[in-house]
Amino acid sequence: MRDYEIVYIFHPSLEEEGVTQKLDRFHGLLTGDRGGNVTEVDHWGKRQMAYPVEDQTSGYYVVAHFAAPSEALPEFERILKLDEELLRYLVVVNEGDLATTPVPPQPKRDEESEEEGEEA
Amino acid sequence: MRPSRKACPICELGARTIDYKDEKTLTRFVTERGKILPRRISGMCARHQRQVGTAVKRARYIALLPYIAGFET
Repeated sequence: MRDYEIVYIFHPSLEEEGVTQKLDRFHGLLTGDRGGNVTEVDHWGKRQMAYPVEDQTSGYYVVAHFAAPSEALPEFERILKLDEELLRYLVVVNEGDLATTPVPPQPKRDEESEEEGEEA
Repeated sequence: MRPSRKACPICELGARTIDYKDEKTLTRFVTERGKILPRRISGMCARHQRQVGTAVKRARYIALLPYIAGFET
């Protein structure tokens, strides 16, 4: 089991209930006897994209977190690719809510190198 | 003489990793054309430069950031 994060970009003509239906179907491939579970689903809603994807200039964004055995992913992604109303998706391993690699505080360098004074 | 090295801007923000979904922060690390700032300009430490690079590339893929900015298709 690993924690993953997925970003979906749906066709902008889909409304929230249409998206929710699709998400239920997709997430059904991970949960149940597949042994995964979806922990968080965040609807960003429609937003402008930085460049056109599949001839669309906006998309309905959803971010979800889930845990699943890695063997479940190829089939999951196969189904995602078949869906024409899912313009694009991105699955990444979830590094935990910024917990796994805390950045140790840097030792302060000599003060004399801090002459620019453009602190934010 | 070597120019004085500025502290890494992300280290200064504290122990925070870079989120590829946070395009407001990421735009600080790309040029107006959308290129990733080089180390010598961004002044970041190696680890953060790597993390920013990955984050910008992910953000581009999900169309939060442009691959090339400043022209209309």
